[in-house]
Amino acid sequence: MHTIGRVARKYSVSRSTLIYYHSIGVLVPSGRSSSNYREYSDSDLRRMDRIQLFRSAGLSLDSIVMLLGKKGDELNATLEGRLSSINGEIQALRDQQKIILKILEKESAIRGTRVLTKKIWVSILEAAGLDDAAMENWHIEFEKTSPEAHQDFLETLGISDAEIARIRDRSKAFAH
Amino acid sequence: MSNTAMTKEKWVSLFQEIGLDEATMTQWHRAFETRHPEEHQSFLEWLSIPEEEISQIRGT
Repeated sequence: MHTIGRVARKYSVSRSTLIYYHSIGVLVPSGRSSSNYREYSDSDLRRMDRIQLFRSAGLSLDSIVMLLGKKGDELNATLEGRLSSINGEIQALRDQQKIILKILEKESAIRGTRVLTKKIWVSILEAAGLDDAAMENWHIEFEKTSPEAHQDFLETLGISDAEIARIRDRSKAFAH
Repeated sequence: MSNTAMTKEKWVSLFQEIGLDEATMTQWHRAFETRHPEEHQSFLEWLSIPEEEISQIRGT
């Protein structure tokens, strides 16, 4: 059996965290010493391993209490839920990133971020063997089939409004 | 990236229209993944491709 102090050290958490976990039922020590101190068994520690793992995945203690008693399928469903909420947060952060870049309007601010730039895009198209004429065609087709998405896509590349207008006008002119 | 009704199907037909075949598209994904993995992910998300398929595409 392990004392609360040892468990706290092993998992780098405070004693009060473990007392709190006990009070909400997420980790209830299996035993009590003769002087009524909390004692944790090896199986308690295995449970704590899983609690730590789920905590590092950003799950709430409420979800963890639910998860610990569940089988594979339900576990996956909860984790998928968490994954999709992470994706939502990433999306929201990207939107904020975009707004900040727009405010700064500096090329230097774009470097070192995960924003797809015109330069990156062109280099990837080139890597796939597209030459200038093929890229021109791509704009023409894009403009013809999905004009709004074309605008949106060019905006995500951080291209200025004036240049976007030029690209789209040229694409329209060739479309006939 | 906000989504203005761009889908994978539309994107693929766009690429086919300008003469890209399957092999070239695969090569394109590979180059995208190797050079700019994060941007590749963002781009595939922008096309509203489900997570599972994104991992599949990025893994190949």
